[in-house]
Amino acid sequence: MVAMTDLSVIGQHSAAVGSLDIVSGRAKYTVDLSFPDMLVGKLLYTDYPSACIVTINVEQARAIKGVAAVLTHADVPGENSYLLYEADQPLLAKDCVRFQGDALVAIAAEDEAAAQAALAAVEVVYRPLPGIFDPIAAMEPNAPQVWPGRSNVLDHIIIEHGDVEAGFAKADLILENTYTTQRVEQAFLEPEGAVARLELDGSVVVYASCQTPHRDRMQIARALGIPENRVRVIVPYVGGAFGGKDEAHVQIHAALLAYATGRPVRMVRTREESIRTHPKRHPMTIRYRSGITRDGLIVAIQVEAVADTGPYVNMGKKVLSVFATRVSGPYRVPSARIDAYVVHTNNPICGAMRGFGMPQAHLACERQMDELARAVGLDPLEIRLRNGLETGTQLPIGVNILEGSGMKKSLVEAARLAGWANRDQQPRAPGPNLRRGWGIACMLEGFGLGRNRPDNASVGLELLVDGSVILRTGAVDMGQGAHTVLAQLAAEALGVDLSAVNVVRPDTHLTNDAGASCASRVTFVSGNAVLRAAEPIRKALFMCASEQTGISEQLLTLRGGFLHADGERLSISVSELAAKARAHNLQLCTIGYYAMDYPKGTFSEKGYPHAPGFFTFGTQIARVLVDTETGDVIVEELVIVNDVGRVLNPDGALGQTEGGASMGYGYAVMEELTVDMGRTLTNSLGTYLIPTAKDVPTMKVRFLETPLPAGPYGARGMSEGSVIPTAPAILNAVTDAIGVPMNHLPVTPERVWAALEYRRRDQPRVEGTR
Amino acid sequence: MPCGKMAPVTTLEVQITVNGVARSVQVAVGQTLLAVLREQFRLTSVKEGCGQGDCGACVVVMDGDAVNSCLVLASQADGTNVTTLEGLSDANKLHPLQQAFVANWAFQCGFCTPGMIMSCYALLLHNPKPSPAEVREAIAGNLCRCTSYRSIVEAVLDAAALPERKSECDGGDD
Repeated sequence: MVAMTDLSVIGQHSAAVGSLDIVSGRAKYTVDLSFPDMLVGKLLYTDYPSACIVTINVEQARAIKGVAAVLTHADVPGENSYLLYEADQPLLAKDCVRFQGDALVAIAAEDEAAAQAALAAVEVVYRPLPGIFDPIAAMEPNAPQVWPGRSNVLDHIIIEHGDVEAGFAKADLILENTYTTQRVEQAFLEPEGAVARLELDGSVVVYASCQTPHRDRMQIARALGIPENRVRVIVPYVGGAFGGKDEAHVQIHAALLAYATGRPVRMVRTREESIRTHPKRHPMTIRYRSGITRDGLIVAIQVEAVADTGPYVNMGKKVLSVFATRVSGPYRVPSARIDAYVVHTNNPICGAMRGFGMPQAHLACERQMDELARAVGLDPLEIRLRNGLETGTQLPIGVNILEGSGMKKSLVEAARLAGWANRDQQPRAPGPNLRRGWGIACMLEGFGLGRNRPDNASVGLELLVDGSVILRTGAVDMGQGAHTVLAQLAAEALGVDLSAVNVVRPDTHLTNDAGASCASRVTFVSGNAVLRAAEPIRKALFMCASEQTGISEQLLTLRGGFLHADGERLSISVSELAAKARAHNLQLCTIGYYAMDYPKGTFSEKGYPHAPGFFTFGTQIARVLVDTETGDVIVEELVIVNDVGRVLNPDGALGQTEGGASMGYGYAVMEELTVDMGRTLTNSLGTYLIPTAKDVPTMKVRFLETPLPAGPYGARGMSEGSVIPTAPAILNAVTDAIGVPMNHLPVTPERVWAALEYRRRDQPRVEGTR
Repeated sequence: MPCGKMAPVTTLEVQITVNGVARSVQVAVGQTLLAVLREQFRLTSVKEGCGQGDCGACVVVMDGDAVNSCLVLASQADGTNVTTLEGLSDANKLHPLQQAFVANWAFQCGFCTPGMIMSCYALLLHNPKPSPAEVREAIAGNLCRCTSYRSIVEAVLDAAALPERKSECDGGDD
């Protein structure tokens, strides 16, 4: 392991790559691109969540002046499907619509007015179907089927570990609770967009605000019925994504229209269209049963969860797989039975959103820990310390924690920062209608795509003879800072300043496949690929340096653009060495490839086939004030401790952590996509509320650095970790404040007030009133 | 459903001083200032995040006040002085707010940044030494989904603390 003091770029403060473009307004996002003769692209979305299509008449629309193309399913030259994992979601619906985000007609016109006129002129005759909107009702045998001849239960994931019956038999106490989570929206600030144009040779170039350009390329090629190498996807600046741009959105439609018209087409969703169409975070109902000894040790858990995934496969199965593999939390659980049902409805599709099943898993698990603590009379900190995962323990999914569990360390540090031990010194009732409460939640973030899934990246690196560096990466930076971290790794490895590295942004003709920017995997996977790409170049430089100086290669290092011997700076620059290496025919332009490589012994034979192998641990502690008159929840402070292995960029790591926790705060107290009979009611940022500058709580953030040897400089994935424990920490704190269990997200004033009112009236508590 | 019956399009001429340059432009009745700035003047720092005044990504400064340009008709901007992010720095010299945003990592994806900086610019015009609470109030209409706003508030306070806020600083390293 390299000591921190030997590093000159890693761990140091610097401006983020792209900073100047962003603050000066020069940064071009997809919607800012413009080409001569460019058309406006639009999609006609259905207003019916479930209906058969009788006819689609586009004749009048085609006749409107200024309309260049009106396409239906019949005009798709290749596969009329997103073809992400299954060919179920049509690009342009043919026989029926299954949710309000289904598109029927694609239009390209000279201007917005002509496009709108064409949209209005399309005649669609529907035969409405009853649809199904309650996932639990959808599991009944006689429920209306979203797909005729196919069960509404898309998947049933089962995880079994140990003897659960024997486990519960050993318990002194068995506790069962039901927790619910709501459907939430990514609310990235830049709505989805794409610009497509044809090259002279007939190939298609698509600029897209996306997370996965190389997979988009495959999907576009299949829709157009052309070879993949005739499609080029370029990713300009991306205005946030959070999982919502992981799957293709309008890039395929824009390509279809460009292909049909031969002209550039720009298609950008309105905010209403954005909220209507892209996949959300799954709402879930989670029944959690735990057996525990008098000493507070967990002996068995049984979890049954139902998730509403909407009508299409999308990433629903994968999200629930991640949920099921994390729902036992960062604890030793000797026996477990987990059943997770992924259920079709005609509600909005659910899929990838930051945390990917982990926020729901931890909401249930961490709320349950507090209820268990209360039941056996233990402090919430103490019960977590007694059950917390240690290095060497095995998870119920058959994964051995080989490399440094920071779970207990993060607990202890968070408790210290929050003043947990002395919390009773602060008044519990600081005002006439105010109650203070404290809540802890821990998390285990399994990062990467998991066992038996392709998880790799390839990057290009080139050292030029003036000492500057080109880094070509297909990994999208949608704000998380990936390009800065990758550039830092390249700069550190080649001994140059960060400013010497020019990052070539994702372009499938110029940069290699790095997979999706998802699962907190980019720093780890692409970062390791950068280090591998740098190796041959370093070798060449050191060979030349040793030859020139007569000093053994072992004593030589590169930093700040110069050669160092035994720590002393020599007057030989990286630029000189590069020139010498080139003159010697040595390789200065390389490709680095890295595939996720879990250490031997990580997985047990019988373990879950898609278990995560690497982990980041953390703890959050919330201090809240509850206004018992209004039900308002004020989060006074949020303490966040994450063990990220190694902080590669202090500003980026802090920003990711605070931003994730802000999103977790919104999830806890205010956000909910309200859907009624398949119709989204909160379809604007004025009705779907996210935290503003006046809402977010004060945060105290600390990082622990228990290195993961396989990670670049010991780093672990960390972009999702901070969103995971925030909501359960806040719910635990509200529960502590008012003495009524809060088991349903979000804890709105109405819900808190209702809980208090039931208690005031001494009536049996009715949970789940939504 | 969008309405199919389009009103007969008529245009009118408006005079707007944009980033210090007096411009005369033909606009359609009902066209927003946002559309004119983006489409006619190609000032693409002005972002559209929602088109209905909820997010603040399109904020520009009009006669000294921060406005959501998606809620201002181009005709309402007739005779006004409009500043966009492009007008804040000249050549390669960053405005202290821009410099402070870089130094504080006061953005991640950057899409809210132009509107955010313009709201802060308007704040400092009226209140050169704002308190943290005043900064939060001033940007309450600018949504950021990436950060916790802490870095943004600190950037504004830093910029306000710079003596006389002269724009003499060259850009940081990119």
